Amino acid sequence: MEIRRILPVIIGIAQGVIGVLFAVLAVMLFLNLLEVQTVFNVPSELIPIYLLILGLFSIFSIINGYFLIREGRR
Amino acid sequence: MTNEKKHGLSSAIIMGLGGAIGFEIFALLNYAYFDLAGPSMISALFFCGIINLITMLSYSELSAALPEVGGEYTYTKVAFGGFISFMAGCLRWLASVFGGALAVVVFVEQLGVLFSVFAPSIQDLVLANASLLIVGLVVILIFLAIRGVEEATTLIVAAFLAIFVIFLAMSVGYTLTPQNIAPEASPGSLVVFFATAAYIFPMFVGMRALVAGAPQIKNPGKNIPRALIISTVLLTAVYFVVAYVAVGAVPLETTETVNEPLLNLAASTIMGPIGAILFAVAGIIASVSSVGTAMTVQSSILGGMSRDGYLPKALLKVHRRFGTRYIAIIASSLFVIFFGTSGAVEFLGYAASFGSLLVFALVNLSLIQLRRKMPRLDRPFKAPFYPLTPIAGIVMSVLLLTFPVILRDVNAESALLSSLGLVAIVLVTYYLRMVKREVDFNRLRVAVGGISLGAGVTLIVLTPVIVPPSLSIIMIIVALVSILAGILNILASARKID
Repeated sequence: MEIRRILPVIIGIAQGVIGVLFAVLAVMLFLNLLEVQTVFNVPSELIPIYLLILGLFSIFSIINGYFLIREGRR
Repeated sequence: MTNEKKHGLSSAIIMGLGGAIGFEIFALLNYAYFDLAGPSMISALFFCGIINLITMLSYSELSAALPEVGGEYTYTKVAFGGFISFMAGCLRWLASVFGGALAVVVFVEQLGVLFSVFAPSIQDLVLANASLLIVGLVVILIFLAIRGVEEATTLIVAAFLAIFVIFLAMSVGYTLTPQNIAPEASPGSLVVFFATAAYIFPMFVGMRALVAGAPQIKNPGKNIPRALIISTVLLTAVYFVVAYVAVGAVPLETTETVNEPLLNLAASTIMGPIGAILFAVAGIIASVSSVGTAMTVQSSILGGMSRDGYLPKALLKVHRRFGTRYIAIIASSLFVIFFGTSGAVEFLGYAASFGSLLVFALVNLSLIQLRRKMPRLDRPFKAPFYPLTPIAGIVMSVLLLTFPVILRDVNAESALLSSLGLVAIVLVTYYLRMVKREVDFNRLRVAVGGISLGAGVTLIVLTPVIVPPSLSIIMIIVALVSILAGILNILASARKID
């Protein structure tokens, strides 16, 4: 029974961390910190699309992770 | 005793023109002329005027029947309520944020043009520190917006019209040779023509400022429709003539040698250095004024939605000394800085246009809904040829949304994708905020879990194609976590819904 409570929390935390990391990556890409646009070879005209995909994935990951952590703590 | 409804027809026309004539003419004509339609951009302006006029008829009916503060948000709220009004408010806010961001980019661009006339070394400095200047400008304007500085709309409109009149007067006798004003009758050039119309459409949408000011206008049932129609006709005529002269003075191939906005180039060609300085100063004033207006509009929209419980109450907080919604102003301004520092004029132009076109479609839909839902509502003005006018407004808005994408314009695709993404965020925010019952919450969990599952599967499929081999393992782990999290959320919620 314990695994049923712990697994959602672990996966939820992992998913939340991934979401935050993607958000950080989006900001780094936007501001071109550490030359990430060159490192990842992103054409400048496609940056908005990359930002959109990263932003959306980040938001949904954080929400998804939050739901699982909430479930496990109940 | 004070009389709140104090403006007559002429003031209402100035309000409409003041909302519409602005920095957009400096920003949007370039790409439309040099990269999209060429001289037929002039006809696209005329076409935009017609679309604007059709939707303004719907605005006229709605603003005369519901002259309260709130504009589009109020119309959609009365017609549909709930989610649609929330969506209309968010889209209007987004369009204003993108418009504000575009204005700050134009500010830097025009500052560069101004210095290019007498101090080219400072121009390089301005362009090299564009992001810093944008942040600085927005921060100053935040302070001014919080202090509640009044704007001199009448003065700005008068100054603009005077500059345009001088420009046109000096062009008389100048050999103007605009050719191919009408688009060619081939499918390819018609797609380009409509895509151009979509891109330059934000030059017209500011006219709805008149609708926002409806409560201050005398006899709104009569004066608002008249003012909207007269100012649309006047605006279209002014834009048409100014663009005609600009296109005539600047040949299409000029872009290969000079990297300056079309209107500034035309001004310096026709009027010399004085013209370049005059137009650059006008561009700077227009952009600063537009950012200030955008901040006020954004704080008002956020405040309205917050009052209705859609957004956190913190956005309603009023400054103790100046009486302005300072948190809403600061929150919106951060978005303006974020998008403004990107410097992507074409992307921002399309994004502002798409937001406005969607709002126009919702306003036309609200008109149809209100005619059915509240047939006895007092309507001092009725849109003629109903239901053809609102249907035409909806169809044209949707068509303008699609043509830039058919053209495969990367800026339009980015703008549309960003708008759709932001709409998705709006959708999730709305449900997170509004769901009160457990069963609704679980349905939301299933939806978010499904998105996560789909994203994970897509990532696994695309990883070998788009991700470099060195990052493949990380992306596969990310995808697997997403899939697992999605499945867990779906299973847990589905059980509870059953």
